Amino acid sequence: MTLTAQDLLFYILGGLSLASALGVLLMTNPIYSALCLALTMVSLAGLYASMQAWFVAGVQLIVYAGAVMVLFVMVLMLFDLKSEIKAFSRGAVAGFMKLVAVGLMTGAFLAAIYNSADTLLGTSLAAHVDGTVSTKALAQLLFGKYVFAFEAMGVLLLIIAIGAVALSRIEGGTHADE
Amino acid sequence: MPMNSLIDVGLSHYLALSAALFAIGMLGVLMRRNVIVMMMSIELMLNAVNLTFIAFSRFRDNMDGQAMVFFVMTIAAAEAAVGLALAVTIFKRFREVNIRYFEHLKG
Repeated sequence: MTLTAQDLLFYILGGLSLASALGVLLMTNPIYSALCLALTMVSLAGLYASMQAWFVAGVQLIVYAGAVMVLFVMVLMLFDLKSEIKAFSRGAVAGFMKLVAVGLMTGAFLAAIYNSADTLLGTSLAAHVDGTVSTKALAQLLFGKYVFAFEAMGVLLLIIAIGAVALSRIEGGTHADE
Repeated sequence: MPMNSLIDVGLSHYLALSAALFAIGMLGVLMRRNVIVMMMSIELMLNAVNLTFIAFSRFRDNMDGQAMVFFVMTIAAAEAAVGLALAVTIFKRFREVNIRYFEHLKG
């Protein structure tokens, strides 16, 4: 039972991702929320890399921390939002109920994880996975076993691109009849 | 996850971290009023699921989890694009992106 480098990395990156996720929740200025979310994405990419999922870590950095976050920040800058006065929903009772609901759900998750710890031990781990080999195996999965799902994703992205353009060009916005 | 293995990081630790991230994302969706922040919280929940996939992929030595992460990422990007387009159209009319303006959308 020694603290290896990967264990240390887990606690540092995990703590960082939890702290920045709380930042997304608690910051009243949306642009700070977006920056906290970017930090969460980057620390999760570090966690993926520490679990030897090299290609997914790279894609996480490029797609999430890059493209998706740029989309969010760009739209926020378009809106020019200031710090919000009523950032959180009203109602003390409703807020308490929401907290209780999320707490119960998390408790159920943690209890399930705790109780199944013995059956979830997993196989013996390779200390170091060759990135070239694992990326090749991933590509063979994506273009072999999951090739139809992969092509369907391409069609979905095309539909989404057309839909997003059509949506932002509706005459009179989304409330045309008012 | 017995207490004496607190420094011996295994699958359970990653799953617990993922559950905590998911809970924070869910709280964000429930508590915040700004549509864009709510969508960021949804991204957070999707990322928590991705962490679960990668952890299982690593500790069960099975690459299928990593393939699933790609599909989740694609769906997340698509959802962000459509959601932000909706937010832009809402903002054009109301000059604000509060969730209450989504109550009576017209197509």
